Amino acid sequence: MSVSGIESIGFQPYVPPTMSPASVTATGGTTSTSAAGSSFGDLLTDGIDRLEAVQDKSDKLAVQAATGDLDDIHDYTVAATEASVTAQLTVAVRNRALEAFNEIMRMPIG
Amino acid sequence: MGAFDILRISGSSMGMHQTWLDALANNIANVNTVVPTSETAFQTQTPIVRSVPGGGVEVEGMALSDPEGRMVSDPGNPMADADGYVRAPEDDLATQMTQLVMAQRGFQASVQVTKDAQDIYRSALEIGRR
Repeated sequence: MSVSGIESIGFQPYVPPTMSPASVTATGGTTSTSAAGSSFGDLLTDGIDRLEAVQDKSDKLAVQAATGDLDDIHDYTVAATEASVTAQLTVAVRNRALEAFNEIMRMPIG
Repeated sequence: MGAFDILRISGSSMGMHQTWLDALANNIANVNTVVPTSETAFQTQTPIVRSVPGGGVEVEGMALSDPEGRMVSDPGNPMADADGYVRAPEDDLATQMTQLVMAQRGFQASVQVTKDAQDIYRSALEIGRR
């Protein structure tokens, strides 16, 4: 006795849809620019420059808050948060660099 | 400033909700503002918003309610016309209060996103810390 396959009654096995790699595009926001070519010193200087810029913005808004020229409260709080996080980030990068330097200095020579 | 996109986006949301709340405060303040039938009624403002392609939201403009308003019978009012009618704003207090709740909750949600963003940044800074 033979049992015929279920294909004969119209069953189509499921084939998962495939996507060609060319059709998959980055949705933006996750694109990373490589820092190749810039030295660590430049990276740190850039970081400090940016820190200065955000702190400047935060300071300006703080003055506006004090003089009553501030239109939206959240403008200041967001700027202050940004300044604080940027400061923490810059310090973290500096600490990590110092750690690396000390690690190298502790290397036995000869 | 890619690293602070969460702050920028939620900041734009807070800005939009702030504008909405400002408009609602004005609408609610004028909910009992009636004018003689010969004049146009107070027009309530509702912000028209749109999403920003790079993320965020912005106020595109203000929609004004019908200047015809509602005809209210108030014969005792010194501004009433010969038939005893005055012109009241089109939108009533209930509509405005409902929108006030929506705007307030929207603003609070954006504040919460900002708080969470701070936590996220803090945990990112924790990476590798000893």
